[in-house]
Amino acid sequence: MTTTTTTKRASSMRRHEKIWGLVFVTPISLLVILFSFIPVGIAIFAGFTNWNGLSGRRDFIGLDNFAELLTDKYFWIASGNTVVMLLPIPVYLIFGILFALGSHRGTPGSTVFRVLFFLPYISSIVALVVLWKWIFNYQYGLVNQGLTLIGVQGPDWLGDPAWIKTTIVIMIAWKMIGITSIYILAALKNIPGVYYEAARIDGASTLRQFFQITLPMLTPAIFFLTIVGIIGSLQTFVEVQLFTSDGGRNYSAATIIYYIWQKAFHDNELGLASAAAFFFALVILGVTLSQFRLSRRWVFEGE
Amino acid sequence: MARTSTARRRTGTIIAFSLMLLGSLTMVLPFLWMLSTSLKESRLVFDFPPQWIPDPVDWANYVEVWDIVPLATGLRNSLIVTVLVVVIGTLSSTMAAFAFAKLDFPHKHAIFVGLLATIMVPISVLIIPQFLLYVEIGWIDTLLPLIVAGLLGNVTMIFFLRQYMLGLATELLDAAKLDGAGYLRIYWSIFLPLCKPAIAANVIIVFMATWNDYLAPLIFTNSSDNATVQLVIASFSAYYQEQTDFPMVMTASIIAIVPVVVLFAAAQKYFVDSFAFSGIKG
Repeated sequence: MTTTTTTKRASSMRRHEKIWGLVFVTPISLLVILFSFIPVGIAIFAGFTNWNGLSGRRDFIGLDNFAELLTDKYFWIASGNTVVMLLPIPVYLIFGILFALGSHRGTPGSTVFRVLFFLPYISSIVALVVLWKWIFNYQYGLVNQGLTLIGVQGPDWLGDPAWIKTTIVIMIAWKMIGITSIYILAALKNIPGVYYEAARIDGASTLRQFFQITLPMLTPAIFFLTIVGIIGSLQTFVEVQLFTSDGGRNYSAATIIYYIWQKAFHDNELGLASAAAFFFALVILGVTLSQFRLSRRWVFEGE
Repeated sequence: MARTSTARRRTGTIIAFSLMLLGSLTMVLPFLWMLSTSLKESRLVFDFPPQWIPDPVDWANYVEVWDIVPLATGLRNSLIVTVLVVVIGTLSSTMAAFAFAKLDFPHKHAIFVGLLATIMVPISVLIIPQFLLYVEIGWIDTLLPLIVAGLLGNVTMIFFLRQYMLGLATELLDAAKLDGAGYLRIYWSIFLPLCKPAIAANVIIVFMATWNDYLAPLIFTNSSDNATVQLVIASFSAYYQEQTDFPMVMTASIIAIVPVVVLFAAAQKYFVDSFAFSGIKG
């Protein structure tokens, strides 16, 4: 008697489990279908049409958009600028590691310093750019005024095509150091202390310990940060749009996403912009996959 | 021998402390300069050498800014979007995470892989087709594009929370089942409370990302009635920076970053832990 009730209840419970499981994942599944899968489908389709968003015409034009893209001088300038946007990555990795090492050895004030290092990261990019436009102002900015004190005439950080990319690179590096150091610090805490004890018994110097133990053990974290960093940097857009609004003199700061945004929402060339976006997604995928392949040569896999 | 090594360690600490202090100053001084500028009378802004502590301290900008900039509208819109996305989105995400971690249902694996695939798609690739979609259904220049997607949950957050819930004992679930508790109740009164630290961390991340978002509002809205605070600051500063009214621009920007800074200060521990946790173990 009791056994049958229990079995019955168990089977009804299992049925409930299936139903509730599906109910619980319905919202996120809707999200993914409506706002990711369908848009990706539209993007691929649109890339092969002359869709301009105004006339409602969507003729299939084959690979014309891709051909136009590859012959557009501005697309190539934007591609070059996008590669420059990778430069902050080594900078914030190095400073992030140094800061994490300082924190890890228990330097006094570390907790307070860590909060301060986070300040740029949590602030909105709009506020940061507004602030940097003031600090790097050619005539009245703090930076150039400071340089004047030591007898140097500072450059036109925001207007000069040779400097605007540098300004953006410095800002991104500055913003990312705090968060990078947090990841590195977590990885440092996971290194077993026995390794260092063994090294000390062997008489290995501090420097040697860093290069033989610490750095190899940090490679998984560094790899993670590099991958995320590359994917993020290749998509640099908001900084460019806020700093220059027109891509900078001679298109000197425009990145690929800036180019896509301009084509889509200024020139109404939605077909061309979609083709560029599709092409760019493939590039990002390719870069990510090749990073994983290269990683086997330098990332420590653990025992 | 022991003595020299202590001395060396102390020297090391002093060097590390100095460098970290220098680094922290690099992080903070721009913000202090922002604050200093916002408290200056316009005529003092271009003084050379620069004045760090304004004399006199002028609070007038903090009153005037509300008349000059549609800041109140921007803050209201940002608040509506952020609160809805944080509260409802967190519920959706935790529900899905609970199902993936603890329940067995048809096509579970396939659905999970489907979610995983979307993480690989760069947001910049989705933005044009999403725009076209919103044009079709008449959502352009409303707050809906900023809200609706967020209500349904957040894939990264689901991965993170699922990982966390996998670590919780399954016996809890079995015991609750034996007591005849339904799944909704098990989720609500057992798993949700147990996940508090992980949820707190994610709430802060989602709050920050939504409040600070500039890309989506820039593309999906265009009238000032529907502008979020970030859009308001961006368009206002583009104009006023040309007029070189820096104190006013800095004042508006400070008001826009205060909510996130306050939240961060209040929950700093969760925040730092969550980044470390989600990055390395997630």
